[in-house]
Amino acid sequence: MTNQPDVILKAEDIHKSFGNIEVLKGISLEARKHDVISILGSSGSGKSTFLRCLNFLETPTSGKVTVHGEEVLVRNGRPQNARHIEQIRARLGMVFQQFNLWTHRTVLENVMEGPVQVKGESRAEARDRAETLLKRVGLEQRMDMFPSQLSGGQQQRVAIARALAMEPDAILFDEPTSALDPELVGEVLKVMQSLAAEGVTMIVVTHEMNFARDVSSEVVFLHEGRIAEQGPPDQMFGNPQTDVFKRFIAKVR
Amino acid sequence: MHPIETLLDSWPKLLDGTLMTLKLTLMGALIAGLLSPGFALIRSHASPLAQAPLRLYISFMRGTPILAQLFLIFYGSGQFRPVLQEWGLWNFFRDPFNCALLAFALNSTAYQTEILRGGIQGVAHGEIEAARAIGMNRLKILRRVVFPHAYRIAWPALGNEVILLMKASALASVVTVFDLMAQTRRVFSRSFDFSVYLWAALIYLCLTAAFVLVWRLAERRLGRHILARQQPRPGAPTPRETQA
Repeated sequence: MTNQPDVILKAEDIHKSFGNIEVLKGISLEARKHDVISILGSSGSGKSTFLRCLNFLETPTSGKVTVHGEEVLVRNGRPQNARHIEQIRARLGMVFQQFNLWTHRTVLENVMEGPVQVKGESRAEARDRAETLLKRVGLEQRMDMFPSQLSGGQQQRVAIARALAMEPDAILFDEPTSALDPELVGEVLKVMQSLAAEGVTMIVVTHEMNFARDVSSEVVFLHEGRIAEQGPPDQMFGNPQTDVFKRFIAKVR
Repeated sequence: MHPIETLLDSWPKLLDGTLMTLKLTLMGALIAGLLSPGFALIRSHASPLAQAPLRLYISFMRGTPILAQLFLIFYGSGQFRPVLQEWGLWNFFRDPFNCALLAFALNSTAYQTEILRGGIQGVAHGEIEAARAIGMNRLKILRRVVFPHAYRIAWPALGNEVILLMKASALASVVTVFDLMAQTRRVFSRSFDFSVYLWAALIYLCLTAAFVLVWRLAERRLGRHILARQQPRPGAPTPRETQA
């Protein structure tokens, strides 16, 4: 099963406890190439924690993550082959709620940093791609500015370009529009939509129901640390099966 | 004697002393500057037990007069002369310059460590997380994200520490190092001309002023991103771009 060629990311039975509180109670998820998976759930459902377990920003208590054949198994909070973690991270882009750009580097330097420092690319090569990517997210005029000179929406688009610059197998989005002023949400969603259309594999924790319904290929609903419901968006939103998900969509509408 | 004549008379000695003061200060600050990043990391990351010896050292250095530390090394080493000779260290401790340098370097290391620890702890956690997420190893994260920010945060306080060290270096004159203070006293003891002290004060003042200037330029260079924020945005976003 793992050897299916188009499975890019596979998470198996992810558990996570903080102290005595079990936040994730065994979640498994598979992402194939070109998938756009939206993860929904009310606050405290564990959706961000789960996303952060995929690239080990949180270490799961137990479980297994496989990305592009690199496998990390965790038992009792200890990763068994920890040296794969950095390789997995380099293969998974990440876009944060708070952008987390490196404020001491210019926009262009932010996008070049990963390819040069992690993949060992030449500066010229990295610069070429960074310029192309910044053009693609509409920021070619802002390349020599510092992040503090940009609006939130612009910063988040830089963060997306930074993730793309690593040519990742998939990109993880952790509530990418939650910290933005309402009028800036659109520009970021638009970029994400165009990535989806181009076939970039994405796993998105979001509160944007329209994005989940219209753009994603699969919706996962987490409730109290478990997957309560999962399926294609038409089916999920058109004919919700569980009471918890019915209540959830009634509330957010 | 006219103060100008005093200066014309004694400038070679004062220059000698100035160079010694500079050498002592800069070498001491530099040695401390090389030791402090590692110590600061221990202070900010190691378990309380592992950093206990370091804390003890720091509280000793910060909690006792620097003159006492200097005497401890200079006169103390004399007490242990046979042992030091046996270890081949006596040649080092016999020279008062070395004793003074050691005292100042040890003292400044303690202060610089604490200053830099504050800087490290002030680095935004999200930026470190972004570096982890992109696949950087620990060393890269330190070099590319943590220390650039930490030094920018700590920079003004570090400059302060170097200035304090420069002034404290006058204490070396007490253990027969011929720094600016010692040379000034020597001139005074022969001429009883008070104005030489004024010249010495002026030289100290010039040294610190020049240092402050250089330090501020460096601060500006380190903090380009902070200065940029304070300037009006070169071309606020056009409506078209906001929509993009």
